[in-house]
Amino acid sequence: MFDDLKRFETGSPQQFDWLRQLLDGFFSDGNVMDIRAVPRGSFPMINIARSDDTVRVYVFAAGLAPSDLTIDVQDNVLTLRGKREPVMGSNEDGSSRPVFRRERASGEFVRSIALPDGLDAERAEARHAHGVFEIVLPKREELKPRRIDVQAA
Amino acid sequence: MNNVVLSSNRSSLQQRGDEKREQEALLPAVDIIEESNALKLVADMPGVTHETLKVELDNNVLSLEGEIALDIAKGLSALHAEVRGQRFARRFRLSHEVDSDAITATIVNGVLTLTLPKKDSHRTRRIEVQAA
Repeated sequence: MFDDLKRFETGSPQQFDWLRQLLDGFFSDGNVMDIRAVPRGSFPMINIARSDDTVRVYVFAAGLAPSDLTIDVQDNVLTLRGKREPVMGSNEDGSSRPVFRRERASGEFVRSIALPDGLDAERAEARHAHGVFEIVLPKREELKPRRIDVQAA
Repeated sequence: MNNVVLSSNRSSLQQRGDEKREQEALLPAVDIIEESNALKLVADMPGVTHETLKVELDNNVLSLEGEIALDIAKGLSALHAEVRGQRFARRFRLSHEVDSDAITATIVNGVLTLTLPKKDSHRTRRIEVQAA
């Protein structure tokens, strides 16, 4: 009669996080996960794109002014730090208000993400518009594509 | 390029391929708070500007829609994409006490703040308990 309890013995508590695992399964490439991968929807979300001579990182950090985000690059790891104030949930007299949803991340955050090799962090630049930061990291000269001319024999 | 949030000036060929993707809008994270005279809704819509934001009220359904308007250089290919889409959309059913003519919306740094005032007759009143 205790057979049913067996299923509770195996594995880690992680098995109960089946939804997360299911989602990660859909969105990751195979079962190999990047060591710095984060669950979907972590704040701020990041996209990375590459052109011939730059790598561009887009940080979707709604609500942050340019001075609210600290951007560091060390050993090809980009680290973003910042803080976002929560929306006030209290009245002028200090009593709290009913909150129906609080989905937006607030408070301090730190996110790190690995960048491709061969970037020149010294010449990196960052821009900000409408809550999106664009960080432009030029590739080092020796890694830029170049055309090789064929010499006449 | 398709996976990097897509700039608005794409070729028609790309656009055809993206039609399906455009249907799938991203769901913005929201905070909703009750204030004494209004409901307050705050939504994260990074990349959405005053020009690309659409707030509509139809039959008591409030819809928020915003296109991510990024000025993305040409010739990029995606390495990593957490934001997969170029549009945010979310809809809410309003209750009857919201004064739909008095709704105000602002968007600053990609954060939309909507104030939904309550009709006068529905505002909070504190009821004093009389001494017996």
